[in-house]
Amino acid sequence: MAAGSEVYVLGGYQTDFARNWTKENKHFSALMRESVEGALQVCEIAPEEIESAHVGNFAAELYCMQGHLGAFFTEVNPAFSGLPTSRHEAACASGSIALLAASAEIEAGRYDLQAVVGIEQMKTVDSGTGGTYLGTAAWFEEEAEGIDAPFPKLFGKLGDEYDKRYGLNDEHLAEISKINYANAKLNPNAQTRTWYMNKDHAMCRTDDNPAIGGRVRISDCSQVTDGAVTVFLASREYAEKYAKGMGKKLSEIPRIKGWGHNTARLKFADKVAESANDEYVLPHVRSTVTNAMKRAGIENVDGIDGIETHDCFTTSEYMAIDHFGITKPGESWKAVEAGWLEIDGKIPINPSGGLIGAGHPVGATGTRQVLDAALQVTGEAGAYQVEGAKNFQTLNIGGSGTTSCSFVVGVD
Amino acid sequence: MSTPSAAEMRQILASRKIERVVVLGANGTMGYGSAALFTQAVPEVTFLARTKAKAEAGLAAAIKQVRSPTVATRSKTGSYDDDLASACAKADLIFEALTEDFDLKKDIFDKIEAARRDDSIVATVTSGLSINSLCEGRSDSFRKNFLGLHFFNPPNVIVGTELIAGNDTDPAVVDFVDAFSQIRLGREMVRTYDTPAFAGNRVGFKVMNECAQLAEEVGVLLADKLVGPYTGRAMTPLTTVDLVGWDIHRAIVDNVYANTSASTDEAYETNKLPDYMAKLIDKGVLGNKSGSGFFKKDGKKRLVLDPASGNYTPEEDIKLPDLRYIDQVAALHRDGRYEEGMQVFLNAEGEYAKKARGVIAGYIAYAFQRVGEVTETIDGIDRIMGMGFNAAPPSVLVDTIGAQGTVDMIAEAGLAIPSALADAAKTGEPKRFFHHRRINVGKFFVAE
Repeated sequence: MAAGSEVYVLGGYQTDFARNWTKENKHFSALMRESVEGALQVCEIAPEEIESAHVGNFAAELYCMQGHLGAFFTEVNPAFSGLPTSRHEAACASGSIALLAASAEIEAGRYDLQAVVGIEQMKTVDSGTGGTYLGTAAWFEEEAEGIDAPFPKLFGKLGDEYDKRYGLNDEHLAEISKINYANAKLNPNAQTRTWYMNKDHAMCRTDDNPAIGGRVRISDCSQVTDGAVTVFLASREYAEKYAKGMGKKLSEIPRIKGWGHNTARLKFADKVAESANDEYVLPHVRSTVTNAMKRAGIENVDGIDGIETHDCFTTSEYMAIDHFGITKPGESWKAVEAGWLEIDGKIPINPSGGLIGAGHPVGATGTRQVLDAALQVTGEAGAYQVEGAKNFQTLNIGGSGTTSCSFVVGVD
Repeated sequence: MSTPSAAEMRQILASRKIERVVVLGANGTMGYGSAALFTQAVPEVTFLARTKAKAEAGLAAAIKQVRSPTVATRSKTGSYDDDLASACAKADLIFEALTEDFDLKKDIFDKIEAARRDDSIVATVTSGLSINSLCEGRSDSFRKNFLGLHFFNPPNVIVGTELIAGNDTDPAVVDFVDAFSQIRLGREMVRTYDTPAFAGNRVGFKVMNECAQLAEEVGVLLADKLVGPYTGRAMTPLTTVDLVGWDIHRAIVDNVYANTSASTDEAYETNKLPDYMAKLIDKGVLGNKSGSGFFKKDGKKRLVLDPASGNYTPEEDIKLPDLRYIDQVAALHRDGRYEEGMQVFLNAEGEYAKKARGVIAGYIAYAFQRVGEVTETIDGIDRIMGMGFNAAPPSVLVDTIGAQGTVDMIAEAGLAIPSALADAAKTGEPKRFFHHRRINVGKFFVAE
C-alpha cells in the first residue's frame, strides 16, 4: 500500500445473532437500521459525517424478496439521502468484498469515511428451502440442484479429501466444535450461547447429532442466522481527527494492515483436481492468507495474535489451521491436540465462537470478523478478549473455498 | 465494584476446581435443568432425589430438555437416604434445588452439613427465601461457603442469573462462583442483596401481578394487550403468568407481600395477589400446567378467563376498545424506529393508553426506587430484567422514551418520581442510563 493510503477501522456494531427478526415481526429495514444506528452511537459519529456506504449481502432477493440493498442504507437516516451507495455479493464472502471495495475507495482518495454493512436475514424460510438457497453459492445446476443440504455435503468432501491425503480423525473436528461453542458462551451476541454442547455431544453418533453431509454432523455446522454488522472505515486524515476527538492516539486506532483476495474455480471437484500435486488442499485460500500477511509486513502466523476464521463447518476450520501455517500441511490435528486454538492458547482461533458458535448471517460474516478483530486489538472484546492482542487476522470464504478474503487488522 | 477483565476472571476460575457437583431435588424443574447445565462444564454430576427412581426421572428429563443423551455419560443418580452422605463428601459444589419450603431446605442442609468437606461450596437455587436465614446457626465453614445461585427457568435457555451472598459468605467464594458461572456456564451474573424475591422476581412479578389486578378491572385480554410486546417484552404478562404457573406466581408475590410493608415498599398493594386468583388456584387453576389459567386452549381456539365468574369466553367474542395506537407503535417498531414508537405510546390519547402507561411508569419507578435495596445500582436490575425476563430493562425504557418523557409518565400515573430520573430530566445528565454498548436494545421492542 502506498504511504498515506492506510485504511482505519473506527469500530462498529453487531446485532445479537441469537435474534429471530421474523419472530420479532420486523422488516429487513429494521435489521439494517439497528446495525447502522448502533455503530453511529458506539463510535460517536454523526450521520452527516458518512460519505459513502457499501452493503454486503448474499441473497436478500431469495430470503426477503428484496433487492437494491444499497438504497436501503439511505432509509436509515435523513442525512444519508443522496449518498453514493452500492451492494456487493460473493456468497459468504460478501461482507469482505464490501470491505475491500470501501477500502479501495479510501486508498484511491475518493472518500474519507465509509460505512460498510454486512447483512443477511435467513430465518424467513424453513431449513430445507434455506439449504437450497445456499446452494446457489455453488454451481447450482451441477452441485446443488435436487440435493438436500448441498453445502454440508461439499464440506464433508473437504474432510474426505484431507482424510485421503493425510488422514483425518473426527475427534479433532469434535474438539473444534467444542471450542467454538465454549467461546460463544462468552460472547453476548453469539447465537449459540445457550445451546447445549460439549465434546461428548459433538462426538455423539446418534440421531441427536445426525450426519447431514457425509462425515459432517449437525455439531460440525455453522448456523442459520439473522444478523447485520456495520463497521466504519476511514482514511488516515479522518482517523487522525477522530482519534483526537476521542482523546486517543492514532496508533490506538486499528488499521487494515493487509488484505488478501483470491477466487478459485467454482466447483469443488475442480478445485481439488487443481491442487492434486499441491501440499495445500485449497492453495488459493493459502495465497489469500499469506498475501494478507505479506501486505501487513508480517512474516508468518507467529506475528498474528489471534484469528477469526470461516468455520462454516469444522472441516473448513481444520483446513484453515494448516493454511494459516499454524502447522505443516495435513497436521492441523497437532494444533487441536496441543490446545493452541483456545482463547488462552498459542494462537486462538475464533474467540468470538466463529460461525459455528457466534452464527453465520452469510453476508454479515466478513464484517463481523473484522469488527471482532478490531475489538480484540483494542482490548474491547470483553469476556472473549485475547490478552494483549495487537494483530488479528480474518479469513472469510464464499462457496466451497471459492472466493477467499483475509484481513490483518492491528494496532501499532 | 469494577468488572474484572477476561484474564482476571480466568485467573479467579483457576483458583479452585469444580469437578464433582451434587444436585439435590434433581427431579424438579429447576433441579434437573440446573444439573443439565452443570454437565456441560464438569465431569461428574450426581442427581439426588427422595428416591433413586425420582432421580432417574430427573436425569431423563434433563436429557430431554437439552436434547443430548450425553448428559447421562457425566451423570450419576441416587437417593438422599442411600447416597447423599457419600456424594456430598466428594462434591466440590453442592446445589440445593428442593421445593421452596424453608423447613424442608433446613432439613436437607442438616444432612449436607454432616457430610460435606469444609471447603465445598453450597449453593441454593431459591428464588426468594432469605439466604441468611437459610444458613443461620450453621458452622463457620458452611456459612462461609454458602450462597444463593438463582437460575431462571429454564436454565438452559435463560442466561440471567442472580448471585446472592449471605453476611458471612467468603468474598473469594462469591468471586469464584461468579467467574465459574460466567465462563463455564455462560451465565449473565447479577449480584443482588438478600431481600425478598431478590431483584428480578421482585420487579418482574410486581408488573405481572399489577396486570393481573388490571385484568379484574378491564378484562384479561385487554390487560394483556395493553402491556403487550410493543411496550418492551417478548411475552405478554398474563401469558407469562400462565407459563410460570399460578402457584409459583402466588409463592413469589406472597413472599414479597409478607416480608415488606407499605412503609418499605411504595407499591406494596400491587404485590397483593388478587382474590380471584387465590380462589381459582384453590380450584386447581394453575396456568398451562393445569390446562387453564388466564387463557385456555379449545382445539385451535383460545379462550379467555373472566376473572369475576371464572368462566371462559372465546377470544373472538371479546370486543376490544379502539387500540389503533398499538398498531401505530408496532408499525414503527417493525421498521426499527423504537424511539418514535415509544413517542406515539407516550402521546396516545384515551383511558386505556393511560392505563398502559401507568403500568410501564410503575415498572420504571419501582425499579429505580429499589436501587440500593435489591442491587447496588440500576445496572443489576437492568441486566436481570433483560436477560432473566426478556423484558426491556428500565434504563433502556428511559433511554428510549427520554428522561423528561419518563418523568411525565410517572407523574401522570400519580407515582413518586425517583430522584435519579428527576435529576436526569432537569440536568440532561446522564444522557443514557444503559451503558452496555454491545447489547442490542432493539430486541426488547417486539413489533406486536
